[in-house]
Amino acid sequence: MNILLVCAAGMSTSLLVTKMRQAAEEDGVIATIEAVSLDEVKNHIDEADVLLLGPQVRYKLAQLKAEAGEKGIPVDVISPADYGMVNGKNVLDFALGFQK
Amino acid sequence: MIGFLEKYVLPVAGKIQEQKHLQSVRDGIILAMPLIIVGSFFLIIGNLPIPHYEAFMSGLFGKEWLTKLTYPVGATFDIMSIIIGFGVAYRLAERYKVDALSAGAISLASFLLATPHMTMFTPEGTQKAFEVGGVLPISLMGSKGLFVAMIIAIVSTEIYRWVIQRKLVINMPQGVPPAVAKSFVALIPAFIVITFIWIIRVILEATSLQDIHHVINLVITTPLSFIGGSLWGMLIAILAIQILWSLGLHGDAIIIDSLMAPVLFALMDENRQVFMADHSADLPNIISAPFYSIFMTTGGSGLTIALVLLMLFKARSKQMKQLGRLAVGPSLFNINEPTIFGTPIVMNPLMIIPFILTPVVVLLVTYFSMDLGLVAKPNGVLIPWTTPMFISGFLATGGKVSGIVIQIVNLAVALIIYYPFMRLYDKQKFNEEKGFEQIKSEKDLNHSI
Repeated sequence: MNILLVCAAGMSTSLLVTKMRQAAEEDGVIATIEAVSLDEVKNHIDEADVLLLGPQVRYKLAQLKAEAGEKGIPVDVISPADYGMVNGKNVLDFALGFQK
Repeated sequence: MIGFLEKYVLPVAGKIQEQKHLQSVRDGIILAMPLIIVGSFFLIIGNLPIPHYEAFMSGLFGKEWLTKLTYPVGATFDIMSIIIGFGVAYRLAERYKVDALSAGAISLASFLLATPHMTMFTPEGTQKAFEVGGVLPISLMGSKGLFVAMIIAIVSTEIYRWVIQRKLVINMPQGVPPAVAKSFVALIPAFIVITFIWIIRVILEATSLQDIHHVINLVITTPLSFIGGSLWGMLIAILAIQILWSLGLHGDAIIIDSLMAPVLFALMDENRQVFMADHSADLPNIISAPFYSIFMTTGGSGLTIALVLLMLFKARSKQMKQLGRLAVGPSLFNINEPTIFGTPIVMNPLMIIPFILTPVVVLLVTYFSMDLGLVAKPNGVLIPWTTPMFISGFLATGGKVSGIVIQIVNLAVALIIYYPFMRLYDKQKFNEEKGFEQIKSEKDLNHSI
């Protein structure tokens, strides 16, 4: 499963990515997890199975939903609490919940 | 109150971020950013505050070493308008789903068409300046031409896509290779855009308004730089940014990147030009791009690194201690989403107070220290915003120790402001944790009975 995280510069989400990869390894989940900035997201959207936004860029939700929605890719916002505590496990479970 | 803000601010933030022209302007600046950071690197090397550095370098590389070393500055800072204008047109065309490369090329040609191909030259030993033709005036290719380049990029691309979307193009019969067809598709819109800019230039030349650069400078660049470069302008921007973050929205991306970047960039480059001409000159602007990114957001917006340090060393509650450990690493590189969402500061009336108050006080302290000449102004080099504090203050002021000192002072200010709020909040959390444990142990007790 390809999980794509996006925030303004791709910096703080990259922090979360590291934790999510750890969580995935511990749980034996096979997933590709990447973080990109808002500017890059359109170049990577096709590869994603689910697109998760940092809460600070949730004003982009409508636009990204429209773009990703055409391709049937689910888009959602990461819970602020999990984002703040960089809770890789919770966000991973959240992402896996979108798996068809 | 917060619900009210959330309801009205979110759509406005979205609108600003999704506004095609503002987005494209931001993309244009992003295109130039790495180049300008590279140019800054050469500027910094040329001006290391080491005793006898100048003599040492002259001895090693000859008298012209500084001129040679700063060649890349001429190809980065000095041509930023060409790059940014092209980038704006390209990205805007992309958003309209028309051929971006053609739009970029047309915009570049229009920009150079708007610029008189001449410069003033005063020969040595004379007082009189002569007009010299056959040159592109480098002074207008840099930050001085920035707003002209951006406006022309938007106007030319708007005309370009309008013409194409109205299907006023020469369509090639089937069988013509697509590349050939594409080159003709750009022909009519290019002709209309170029003619339009040409007419404006010819008309302006016939009046006392001289040229497009002069007009845009007068009605747009000067007033915007005045507002954006003022203490009030910065104060309002900072308040807006902190309020947005308090709602959990990326204030910097919305206010700085989308709205203020061009002005702050131009102000930065004004300083850079004065600095390069004379290293000891008094720099014209206090407020510029590095003023904000290096001094106002040290350790993250709201200088939250102070809060993190307090959590790390003073917190009693487990939650605050844990967050302190987690957030300190990113905070050193000025990334503070863990702090903002983890504490949380978002929607937390108690923590929002110091979060908004700190950068306001820091703004006043920094601004007046620079105004009074106690602290060196940023000299116009652009360094990545992720550069850790102290290093960043040193480099952004052109290697002045006062740049470090003001960051220490600001950190102290932030520690003092955050301290009482952090104590109060920590106590709440500590009691919650204790209460929770008590309930738990009572439960355990009940179980064992």
